[in-house]
Amino acid sequence: MIRLFTYIYMLFLYAPVALIVLFSFHSSPSLSFPFEGFSMRWYEQLLGSYDFMTALRNSAIVGGASAVLTTILGTFSALALMRMKGRFKSIFAFLNFAPIALPGLFLGIALVILFSLIGLPRSLLTVIIGHTLFTFPFFVESVRSRLEYFDLSYEEAARDLGASPLKAFWLVTLPIIGPTIAGAAILAIALSLDEFLITIFVTGSETTLPLLILSMIRRAVDPSINAASVFMLTLTIAIIAIAGLVMTMRRRRLELERAEPAE
Amino acid sequence: MNAVNQSKPVVVGAEASVPIKTVSIDKKALSGYLLATPPLLFLIIFFLVPSILLFVASFWTSKTFTMIPAATIANYARTLSASGFYDSLWISMQNGFWTATLSTVISAPVAYYIVYKTRSNAVLYLALVSWFSSYLVRVYAWRTILGTTGVINSTLQQFGIIDQPLEWLVFSKFSVIITLVHIMLPFTLLLLVSGLRDIKKDYLEASADLGGGGFTTLWKVIIPMAHKSIVSSFMFTFVLAASDYITPQLLGGRDAMTTGLLIANQFRSVGNWPLGAAMAYLLLAVFMLVYATLLGVLRAANLAPGKRYHD
Repeated sequence: MIRLFTYIYMLFLYAPVALIVLFSFHSSPSLSFPFEGFSMRWYEQLLGSYDFMTALRNSAIVGGASAVLTTILGTFSALALMRMKGRFKSIFAFLNFAPIALPGLFLGIALVILFSLIGLPRSLLTVIIGHTLFTFPFFVESVRSRLEYFDLSYEEAARDLGASPLKAFWLVTLPIIGPTIAGAAILAIALSLDEFLITIFVTGSETTLPLLILSMIRRAVDPSINAASVFMLTLTIAIIAIAGLVMTMRRRRLELERAEPAE
Repeated sequence: MNAVNQSKPVVVGAEASVPIKTVSIDKKALSGYLLATPPLLFLIIFFLVPSILLFVASFWTSKTFTMIPAATIANYARTLSASGFYDSLWISMQNGFWTATLSTVISAPVAYYIVYKTRSNAVLYLALVSWFSSYLVRVYAWRTILGTTGVINSTLQQFGIIDQPLEWLVFSKFSVIITLVHIMLPFTLLLLVSGLRDIKKDYLEASADLGGGGFTTLWKVIIPMAHKSIVSSFMFTFVLAASDYITPQLLGGRDAMTTGLLIANQFRSVGNWPLGAAMAYLLLAVFMLVYATLLGVLRAANLAPGKRYHD
């Protein structure tokens, strides 16, 4: 019974998305059955579209830049949380998580007021800031739980042996926490690729992939929306798969190392 | 003498080791604060300050896209005296309530299945991957399915079951809520699974051994023990769905004017930012109220083990 329910649940989750994938290959512009045959025409139309390529480029810039920023800031946070204790730790941890406890709408309008008061014109830069604010809490959350196994005494040992703090981080800490951080960084790209609730407010005239799809949905029935959707979907899922792989591989290796401690 | 001399270094070593240890702990804490500085600055500049500015701006006045500093509660008074705000709030609250209730209730059996019936995480991972399949893509998918020329209507018409497309399928409360539920399900599943993971199977078995049926176990053991993750699943979903303005706009028909859209419009088309800021804080206040009510209801029903539960 409960197993059947689970299967129906998964079907409900995936069927609508599968339908979009199917129609993206439809040879006719009709979005209903019967299915009239396969074609790549909507993808060709899409890849030849200047708007789409611009949006793709903008999304890549924003995703890359905000992931780099998130990774730097988030790594600082994770390293700090490993060392902090007591009330300051819980306040800091709460602050790290707080941005995603609020709806994106709220963050978007709050940022727009800040940018206008300090006279920062809305551009890709403001989008990058907005995305970093959104991806940063996810980064810290996903890294934190995995860093709990990290033993600070490794780093202390390196310091006792005369390594500078930076050298200890570079030679000891980073190789251990690196894969976890890489996985979370890739996750940040995927989250940024999908973000539009904040973007709507903080962007100037630039479009990103979700903003383009939103305007396509609003404008009219244009079957290349399906192709654009599938394109974005594939991109996100591929990125998530890579992130998952990086994180599991790390864990596997760790489990193997634990299984054979004597070497 | 000799004995004293021999014992001295030991004493010195013991004395010395204590202060050294404390120094290293202080150093550790200090390096923690130093490391926290860059992210802290970022969060202060781009999260705390903007949130405070938004609050301050809600007391300002405006002239088409220009904010004029002031100290007036006119924006709050104007919002609270307009019936449009209450109408939008009613629509938003319905979207939030139904989406949060349905997503939590539908995900609960699946979470139970993942935690107690199967040892693999495949179902959870698959659901999470679908969480990352863009929000907009899923809104668009439901429009394709439910639209007047969409999959359901055209199929029903082809088989001669209906003559006219079913209008209520799309641009209705039904279409908005089914879409929002579809979007939120993986998220509620993740929260419920992490809540159930904290309840060992032994507790459920103990309840069964003591003669508790499935319903009793659910009511007396699972819900009280998992109430934190149930509340967070409900509240997160409620806030996200109730403040949403894209899905209602693309699928909502007459019910499109949610409070979220009202706020967004102040910032995008109308240009009265202070009014929008006041509305945003009023909406936040309503969310707090919903949260307090939910906790109160759970406590009153003895489903949230607070102080009262143990008395």
